[in-house]
Amino acid sequence: MTIRIPVGPQHPALKEPERFIFYVEGEQIVKVIPRIGFNHRGIEKAMEERTYLQDLYISERVCGICSNVHTACYVLLVERLMNMEIPERAKYIRMIVLELERLHSHLLWLGVAFHEIGFDTLFYLVWRDREIVMDLLELISGNRVNYATNTIGGVRRDISEETKHKILKGMKLLLERLKYYRRLSPEEQTIVKRTLGVGPLSTQDAKRLCAAGPTLRASNVKSDVRGDEPYLLYKEAEFQTMVSDLCDVLGRILVRIDECIEAVRIIEWCVKNMPDGPIRQKLPPIFKVPENQAYRRVEAPRGELVYYGVSDGSEKPYRIKIRTPTLANIPALCKMLENQHIADIPIVVASIDPCFSCTDRLVFIDIEKGKKWSCSMPYFKHLIKKKFGR
Amino acid sequence: MLDAIITILQVLIFPGVLFAIILALLYEWVERKFKARLQNRIGPLYTGWHGILQPFADIIKLWSKEDIVPAEADKTMFTIAPMLALASQLISFLIIPVVSVYALVHFEGDLALLAFLSTVYLIAAGIGGLSSNNRFSAIGAGRSIIQHVGYEIPLLFVYASAAFIAQSWSLSKIVEYQVKTGVPLIAFLGIGFGISIISLLAFIERIPFDIPEAETEIVAGWLTEFSGKKYAFFWLADDVQLLVGAGITAALFLGGPCGPVPGIPIVDEILYVIYFIIKTVIIVLILASIEASSARYKITQAVSGFWKYLTPLSILQLLIVFALRLYGVI
Amino acid sequence: MPRVLAFLKDFLKNLSKKPATIKYPFEPPSQLPEGFRGKISIDYNKCVGCGLCARVCPAFAIEMVQVGFREVSGKKIPVRKPRVDVGKCLFCAQCAEVCPAKAITLTKKFELASEKKEDLIVQP
Repeated sequence: MTIRIPVGPQHPALKEPERFIFYVEGEQIVKVIPRIGFNHRGIEKAMEERTYLQDLYISERVCGICSNVHTACYVLLVERLMNMEIPERAKYIRMIVLELERLHSHLLWLGVAFHEIGFDTLFYLVWRDREIVMDLLELISGNRVNYATNTIGGVRRDISEETKHKILKGMKLLLERLKYYRRLSPEEQTIVKRTLGVGPLSTQDAKRLCAAGPTLRASNVKSDVRGDEPYLLYKEAEFQTMVSDLCDVLGRILVRIDECIEAVRIIEWCVKNMPDGPIRQKLPPIFKVPENQAYRRVEAPRGELVYYGVSDGSEKPYRIKIRTPTLANIPALCKMLENQHIADIPIVVASIDPCFSCTDRLVFIDIEKGKKWSCSMPYFKHLIKKKFGR
Repeated sequence: MLDAIITILQVLIFPGVLFAIILALLYEWVERKFKARLQNRIGPLYTGWHGILQPFADIIKLWSKEDIVPAEADKTMFTIAPMLALASQLISFLIIPVVSVYALVHFEGDLALLAFLSTVYLIAAGIGGLSSNNRFSAIGAGRSIIQHVGYEIPLLFVYASAAFIAQSWSLSKIVEYQVKTGVPLIAFLGIGFGISIISLLAFIERIPFDIPEAETEIVAGWLTEFSGKKYAFFWLADDVQLLVGAGITAALFLGGPCGPVPGIPIVDEILYVIYFIIKTVIIVLILASIEASSARYKITQAVSGFWKYLTPLSILQLLIVFALRLYGVI
Repeated sequence: MPRVLAFLKDFLKNLSKKPATIKYPFEPPSQLPEGFRGKISIDYNKCVGCGLCARVCPAFAIEMVQVGFREVSGKKIPVRKPRVDVGKCLFCAQCAEVCPAKAITLTKKFELASEKKEDLIVQP
């Protein structure tokens, strides 16, 4: 007998509204049907109505946790549209904030993952250690969540010698804790019981379903935008891509902790090698961008983030398209959940580090006929052709 | 007549119902505070001395809330379940020796009654979960009963080992035996103590065995639809359950309320209560530290663990006791 | 080989440590850094009324309102000054960055909850 269990839009396992319908036989899941679109905010449209500088702050609000990576991708996109070079020191500062953000995002996820399997003490302690990173980010940028450090042509705030010293001190403390979690997490019996072999995603499936980020790397695929197509200074920093061959939730936990350790190393490298010099190229607050189109991809904490932009010579972009990593991971998530137990739903859903407010797309639903459709790529190509004739 | 009044007062106030409820709520505070410190938090802080009155405040708050019964629920069963749960645990407390070697209620076979009353609590959980007509409640109730099947057998084998040593199925007699020989039974029942701590965690539904109430998976399990007074009843039942569980374990393995006493009537009784509190608090702290440092098992893992490891171990414990008896050690 | 209660030793160490909790409403939060972006403050004496802040604001929280007239070679020209709705503000500090007269600063005030909407409006 198959029972239909609706999870969401409101459920303690989900931190954001999203609906999954599970078809369950006994305790085992047979089929999953996701339904996105509860949190669509029309950000891409809002960006078309604002100037390039205003869009910077709109893009920062796409995601609540990885806010800085969105602005980083956006400024890289606009700089490519304008064929602009930024000062060296700005690159270092951008990388420090990006990696600090990755640390805070991964540590937040780690805490949530431990909470989902019922290990509340580690949840509290990991979040306590995360405060080190949050305090550093507040010190650098003046805010804990939306840092607003990136700007078109560089960064807005410099890092002083005293701040550098504090960063190094904080990183030393954090590294010790991270190594401790890395050593004990795969040893603790209850954690192993709940994560080893749970939510399996084979290498082939991960490639076939186009998973992204740590989910992909935990399935033993060496793919990281920082390594494959280095932006900023990741090439000079000798970035290493972390992979795990466990292909399950435990693998995803270990990959993320490894990435945190790597992030600490990159931050230390950046702080030690930072050159002196200007931090930004001055631009007027309202400026025009020549007719052009470009795309940029960066590695967000959750995976590959893609921005695609079309400018039409005015001070406002004609179109900005954002592809967030969670959207790419949803098909893989449905695959992972097959043949798992009901008890595994929270940890498997959490294992892709879902950010549903980034994911949500506009979905049209005809309630009477039960038909669903959404705007697809051919439709957008058609629109661009209509505008530019190419 | 006077005897009857004294008995009624004993049952209702000390060492009966009122004492049990107050002590249970204080234990909840001990557990919460200790767990908070393990987690580098503060825990309850502003209600009373270091938040000692927080559990009382929580219960009073719940008591003043609106009483909601879901429209689709079976109303009679939904109302009976919380009362049944609390009643079963309060009756269990009367069987545990607190102020003297002998409990308020003691007779040959009261250990079996305790085991039965723990099943009554499970029945209350089952009734509550199934009558509330909610998918999460139904799953929670089912899990609760499945888990009970897992831990009851090893727990009963451990009870049997203790009863065999004391040659009696009465909790008070077992305590009396320990007083007489002067050796707490933990000396012979080391494995049994471990088994009963683990089973106790499953019985009071705490991490790693809080599977029937797993918050992130099934909202609150069989408690999902309960609110206000009915939830307060379950909350109290849960706290009294912790006290009862700790009390039984203390009585079986650590000699219950016994310890060195001068032999003056009133002073003895006060000392007994103090010994009882010390021993049960130690057990509560052991439970809390296990709870704070593990993740939640899955129901299949929990039950198979109970059957694969704990049941054979409990049988081994019984065999050890038989052997000890055979060679005349006990 | 999996270990039971592997973390317990570290947790027990916490018993002797000071709790990490900040009793926030009862004791002040940790030191706010220099350059914290809190509630906006405008020095209207310095403001030249150029309106650049209103044009860069991504949340459209700044609006130029007329405060009077000034006479330039016999003609009356309206003087406009910014009026900020902090309820809409994103705290990005772009207005402070572009202000030519350095009249806008972001203070360290962050406890902005209020019963009245008027408390959240900065106006001349």
